[in-house]
Amino acid sequence: MNDLCIRMDGVSKRYPHFFLDGISLELSEGSVLGFIGANGAGKSTTIRILMGLVRQDSGSVEVLGHPMPAEQTTAKLDIGFVSEDMRLYGAATLAWHMNFVASMYPRWDKAYAETLLRRFDLKAEQKIKGLSHGQRVKAALLLALARQPRLLILDEPTTGLDPVARREVLGELMSVLRDEGRTIFFSSHNTLEVEQISDRIAFIDRGRLIALDEKEDLLDRWRRVRLMVPTGSVLPQIPGVIEVAGTERLPVLTTSQFNPGVVSLCEDRGATVQGVDAMTLEEIFVANVQSRRELQPA
Amino acid sequence: MHTGPSKIVLSQTGGPLYQQIVNQMKQRIAVGEWVAGEEIPSIRQLAADLSVSVITVKRAYLEMEHAGLIVTQHGKGSFVAAHVVPGPKIFEQEMAGHLEEAARLGATMGMSEREMVSRLRKALDETDDARVIPKPSKESV
Amino acid sequence: MNRQRINYAVVRHLILKDWYLNRGVILGSLPVGLGALALVLTGKQVTFLLCIILLCMVIVGVGAQLAMVTTVNERKEQTLAFVMSLPVSWREYTAAKILANLIIFLIPWLPLTAGALGVLLLPGATHGLIPFTAIMALEMLITTSLIVAAGIITESQAWTTAGIFLSSLGINVLGYVFAHLPGISAYMFGMQVRWTATAWTVLIAELLTVPLILGMTFYIQSRKTDFL
Repeated sequence: MNDLCIRMDGVSKRYPHFFLDGISLELSEGSVLGFIGANGAGKSTTIRILMGLVRQDSGSVEVLGHPMPAEQTTAKLDIGFVSEDMRLYGAATLAWHMNFVASMYPRWDKAYAETLLRRFDLKAEQKIKGLSHGQRVKAALLLALARQPRLLILDEPTTGLDPVARREVLGELMSVLRDEGRTIFFSSHNTLEVEQISDRIAFIDRGRLIALDEKEDLLDRWRRVRLMVPTGSVLPQIPGVIEVAGTERLPVLTTSQFNPGVVSLCEDRGATVQGVDAMTLEEIFVANVQSRRELQPA
Repeated sequence: MHTGPSKIVLSQTGGPLYQQIVNQMKQRIAVGEWVAGEEIPSIRQLAADLSVSVITVKRAYLEMEHAGLIVTQHGKGSFVAAHVVPGPKIFEQEMAGHLEEAARLGATMGMSEREMVSRLRKALDETDDARVIPKPSKESV
Repeated sequence: MNRQRINYAVVRHLILKDWYLNRGVILGSLPVGLGALALVLTGKQVTFLLCIILLCMVIVGVGAQLAMVTTVNERKEQTLAFVMSLPVSWREYTAAKILANLIIFLIPWLPLTAGALGVLLLPGATHGLIPFTAIMALEMLITTSLIVAAGIITESQAWTTAGIFLSSLGINVLGYVFAHLPGISAYMFGMQVRWTATAWTVLIAELLTVPLILGMTFYIQSRKTDFL
């Protein structure tokens, strides 16, 4: 069994208008965890607690074996952190930033940094204030990647990037996974990306973790089943149905516990299966959140 | 999506990623681009190449292993299985599965054997249509 | 929780960073201050007092500017997240900000204070002003410490500006008060240097206030739970 890179146990934090409630999750070395949530759901708070920048009110946090926030200085020697609201010093050049970060990270790989400069098409001698948004994001990522971190914690790394830049960034992030000792924890609004690169997925809504699953498992279990039923008949009881939509004769059931036997189940009960649709991660997330919110308004 | 040195091409609209990987690997073997005993990219290499999660690639490799098409030796890498013969036989198992499923569905719907055969014929016709390359018209540039 | 020691290597890097980003302001203030000092050499008492005021303004101005840029701006410009993503905790950050501001402030303060005192030691100068000048110089150090403390703790432009305002007011008020204390006023404009008990008391109180302010800053920072 791999070492645990991240272990959060019952982490809570109370703010005047927001409550992060009992977050528990684990991340093994060598894997990728995608974190999806609406704005204000608690993603950034969770990530800041992971980085030791905010102290939790209760619960324990261990990153790379170090309790946080107590041992954050040691932990951060092995972490590369990029967040969407992070900025570099506008008046200084990228080269200055590279030297600055290199001076504090003994594992800084100068050759790799040069390669990244070329790959990301950045000029080291350029001042940060002269860079476009996409270039700044790439610069921040370069600074995070070149220090060879064991753990990458990324808060919306590709938000605001054009599709080409996004592809470059994603490609570079994933290439670090050639080393099986490297781990990625990232949050993103781009569910397509999360679907593509994550091994595991966490959904967060209103301060609570509402799902924590293997990605393949999630994608296998959720389906929309389109049925045709005779007038006046009762809907077949499919396990895990969280939503019934469509019309009375052509209902569409959204289920979180699909298995191949469901088709025969429906047909045995007199319903004709018109089709079974897989769902994208985004559709799964939205369906999950909406059904919960209906059960617990606000 | 990403191509990379492995030359597998994934599509955002091509269905489950692991399935696309399995299909393309099978086709490689069927066409003879990957021969018996040849080393193929490791799971991690392929994941990094394609910017796809390691677990997804692992799933594809596991399915290929169950189908007897590849073997993964811990610490050594992954290889095309020794007795694999190129050719359409690769899809044998898949075809068998689909035929069984069609037969079952037909039976559920209460179709007669003749109806099912005519349906199969219709499906064949449609496949043939798709494979006909349209002749360029004289006005096209 | 307090098993961690301060990593002084990292603190050094943070200080150098702040020096690098603000070297223009610092180096620019020196000629202005020295120019003001040069005016003193004209010898007139009135000119001297005016120059002292000008010097005070330059030094406090630089101190305030520096405090603002190195603390409040880190949050405003959102570079705080970048700094805190490095192997630093609140300890290194606070220590670095305090030391950076102090050291960088001393760069104009030391030569200008020494210069002012030196000018006063010249034959024919009003030696009696030396204790008062020393006291006022330290007053500026205290003021800067207060502004730095406000910047580090509040990270708010509004509060720090208020701090600057109150401190400037404070300098003027205290300057007036000190100048009228019997132990000081009596000898201020004389030709002899007279360190009275009053003068010593004020001086020592000032010298103790600076570490007090900075120590409190460190303590208040240690009680914070959210650094971003």
